[in-house]
Amino acid sequence: MSLSGKGYAGGVVKIDLSSERVEKAELSQRDALMVLGGKGLGALLLYNSTPKYVDPLSPENPLILATGPLTGTLAPSSCRFSVVTKSPHTGLFLDSNCGGFFGVELKKAGFDVVIITGKASQLSMVIIDDGRVRIEEATELRGAKTMDAEKKVKKRLNEEFRVLTIGPAGEELAPIAGIFTDLRCAGRGGAGAVMGSKNLKAIAVRGSRPISVYDPEGFEKACWRAHRRLRMHEVTARSLPTYGTVNIIETINETGALPTRNFETGVFSDTWKISGYEWRKQLWKRDKACFGCPIACSKLAYISDYVVDGPDYETLWALGPLCGVSDREAVVYANWLCDAYGVDTISTGVIVSFVMELYEKKCIGSEDIDGIHAEWGSSEALLKLVEKICKGDGVGRELRLGVRKLSIKYGCEDIAMHVKGLEMPGYEPRAAKGMGLGYATSDRGACHLRAYTADKELLAYGGAVDPVKIDGKARLVVDYQNEKALIDSTGICFFASFALTFREIGDMLTTATGLPLEDATTLKTIGERVYNLTRLFNVREGIKRKDDSLPRRFLEEPMPEGPAKGSVVELSKMLDEYYTLRGWDENGVPKVETLRRLNLDLILNIGN
Amino acid sequence: MGFGKIIRLNQIIDPSDGRSLVVAADHGLMLGPIKGVIDLEVTLRKVIAGGPDAILLSPGQARRLHHLFTGKGAPAMLVRIDWTNAFRDKTYTLPARSIQFNRVTTVKDAVKIGASGVVTYLFLGFDREEDHMAMVEEFSAECEYWDMPLIVEPLPMGPRVTKANYVDMVKMAVEKAVELGADALKVPYTGDPYSFRDIVKVSSGVPVLVLGGYKALSIRDSLEVISEVLESGAAGVVFGRNIVQDQNPDEAVRLMKRIIHGKETVTDILRERIKPPVRIIVDAEKCSGCRVCEIACSFTHEKVFDPSMARLRIENSSTGVLFTPYVCTLCYSCVNVCPQKALKVNSKTGAVEVSPELCQGCGICVETCPAGVLKLVNGRLFLCDLCNGLPECVKWCSRNALRVEGGW
Repeated sequence: MSLSGKGYAGGVVKIDLSSERVEKAELSQRDALMVLGGKGLGALLLYNSTPKYVDPLSPENPLILATGPLTGTLAPSSCRFSVVTKSPHTGLFLDSNCGGFFGVELKKAGFDVVIITGKASQLSMVIIDDGRVRIEEATELRGAKTMDAEKKVKKRLNEEFRVLTIGPAGEELAPIAGIFTDLRCAGRGGAGAVMGSKNLKAIAVRGSRPISVYDPEGFEKACWRAHRRLRMHEVTARSLPTYGTVNIIETINETGALPTRNFETGVFSDTWKISGYEWRKQLWKRDKACFGCPIACSKLAYISDYVVDGPDYETLWALGPLCGVSDREAVVYANWLCDAYGVDTISTGVIVSFVMELYEKKCIGSEDIDGIHAEWGSSEALLKLVEKICKGDGVGRELRLGVRKLSIKYGCEDIAMHVKGLEMPGYEPRAAKGMGLGYATSDRGACHLRAYTADKELLAYGGAVDPVKIDGKARLVVDYQNEKALIDSTGICFFASFALTFREIGDMLTTATGLPLEDATTLKTIGERVYNLTRLFNVREGIKRKDDSLPRRFLEEPMPEGPAKGSVVELSKMLDEYYTLRGWDENGVPKVETLRRLNLDLILNIGN
Repeated sequence: MGFGKIIRLNQIIDPSDGRSLVVAADHGLMLGPIKGVIDLEVTLRKVIAGGPDAILLSPGQARRLHHLFTGKGAPAMLVRIDWTNAFRDKTYTLPARSIQFNRVTTVKDAVKIGASGVVTYLFLGFDREEDHMAMVEEFSAECEYWDMPLIVEPLPMGPRVTKANYVDMVKMAVEKAVELGADALKVPYTGDPYSFRDIVKVSSGVPVLVLGGYKALSIRDSLEVISEVLESGAAGVVFGRNIVQDQNPDEAVRLMKRIIHGKETVTDILRERIKPPVRIIVDAEKCSGCRVCEIACSFTHEKVFDPSMARLRIENSSTGVLFTPYVCTLCYSCVNVCPQKALKVNSKTGAVEVSPELCQGCGICVETCPAGVLKLVNGRLFLCDLCNGLPECVKWCSRNALRVEGGW
């Protein structure tokens, strides 16, 4: 039975760039029931279509773009799609969730999912025009910055197209390269390099097929109730609309969880200079929303002749406090550089702070880094290093490989802040131990968004939870990972879900699809299934307990100051409990009965 | 139930219809000096002018403002008898590392202040549930002794509460409050009428009042929630910030009372406030380009989500980051230019209407429209009908970039 017109567009398109073959298929109802869409569907397709140890930068590694059943509808913040692939940065599963307008347009063009394999013979772009797919050369776009490439593609085709692009860094296969659209990006984990490895500079899409749902009246009511909840919730009606994600930076600092100078401490004394209030007063001039979003967390900074979408909290932190920098204009310019050349701001900031710590410890001198004096807090050093990383220029060519590879070269693994190769995000795990367990067990390496326990541990939404205690953290992390995996499979934004219960999300899903999804337990099980699925992918790649770890600094060096003074992450204890709750064995491998309970044995090609 | 309890409870919940509008004004104790409570007496004088059934205060403010509760027709006084840090404003204070709570007065003192009821939290989902249960149990015993109605506010709170189990946790907390002897409940809305009906069922006939929480973007939102929970079996609401932080607290109370006691609908009230001709006012500065107005419009008229089918449009600047909404301005250029006289003005709403049998689809009106919002789709003329006086685009806009005169 076709899912077309039931929230879904109903179609999947496979594009092989080597043979230029385009195959269209119907979206499977069984898959939709099992994993919904977005992250879940992408993960299922990735698992089943790739052999073990596939080279992430080879033609065989698919680049999957997957929307959810709520993408492009009246559901709040229904702009999301997931980029799913095997990461060249971690060598593991990667999903990178992105907003903007691209996913919506893709569904209007008739496809829920695009799977791109192969490698084009020259720099090319894929054009999906209302169900018709073609591949065109795009050699004139070589070296173009992300926003310029987007403009040029629109000019060449039509302003109505929505365009995904990579920057020069993606073309050059930098493992920290992201994919960009509408000033938003699928930033983490190197999906931009996968796109670059396929000689694919851009994907343009335009559609004229309206998105419709199974039960329009019921769906409209459920969506309005959800919107109304967002309008009556402090986070979605005030904090995020007013100051974007930066609204939390002062609280994160006060709780001693704002990683500063490469995670040396969790307190940054100049935080007041970069508070949401200051940004509003000085540089942010407008708000910008993704499709269907009443929150509009994007804040646009205007500086001389360019506009930057941001910085958001993570970018500000990584290019600011982490490097000891509190110079707003420097952060904005660094943010712009990353966006223009197409790299992840978090990884870039962590690489810069790593270099600064090496410099401080005299492991390297300025002669090793093209004469840059990489002192903490130096905006000049920050900008020079970011520029080198972005352009792959001089030492930047090596730096952009990420801190894991750099640390092996310099023999200083202890200060390389990453998990499974992905650089750490901006919440100090010693000051929020749930976040620590979340990083260690995240399916794509150090990621704050797989289990955002900071909401309870640091921000005290819904009552404070002692951030330094480990009691109950494993349960919290498991619950949050499952719930986030579900959200990322629906097509709505995680931020909108702050105001919503699963019951409300279930109402929207059921009325949109006509599938039995109203029950909170059903949804939670889908989330758990998706999380186990991504784990299975990583287990197939050889991930074991020893990989579910944190940099030594968090495990052994006590926090020097702040509310979490003296604390280290007691990871091993939490991990034991976590595996038990997950139904994984002591090595972190999902047990057969767990897979059966989640019906994963029915949908996976476990053989390969 | 003792006679004293019955009499006091009837001061809170109107015995003639079993319903109640309580105004919560105890925020200072939990949140600090937020808007609306800073000059509490001024706010409360306005609130009382609207005629609520009862007002909830902290013990100190109840003593200080006792004079507001004297005389015929004065509202009943409810006193908050516990405190918690769980909701403290994050802007100025370091969030505590755990949920803390304490009693702030005794039921005996509440009797002396002149209270008609006392209110306490009951949290479920955190590591000190047993202490919280014990505190509420003590209150319950005191209330029984003094014949004081005990209003319990059962809330899921802490590490065990997640998006997936929230509704179940509310249900469980309500059940426990009932078991501990609550005479009325102050319950969070679970967001949809179906799950809330289940919660009312669990309350075993103990009156359910719904709490308001964070201030909504418009009064319409709160009125709708009130209407929805009453339909699901609630006895009324305990609304605070949605009243005391409103520009006109007296008017907010009056409107809410019309829903609660007057049994009017939200649409009736809106229609009375929004007088035709309905003019949509655009504030482009506030537009974030989210397109919710466009899809709400396309959905209302065509039952699909497609901005290109909307009767209004958002224009992107060349830089792609500035947005300008264009709506029908009721200029009637189209009406004047139509060679078939197929367009006429609806006298009730002021919107332009098309007679399909007269319209030949020539498109002259489309070319004439200065706002560029008219369009011909497969020979059909798409034009703004102002949604019969209550435009959906305005309803869905969360940023007030679109408003109507007399607005909501």
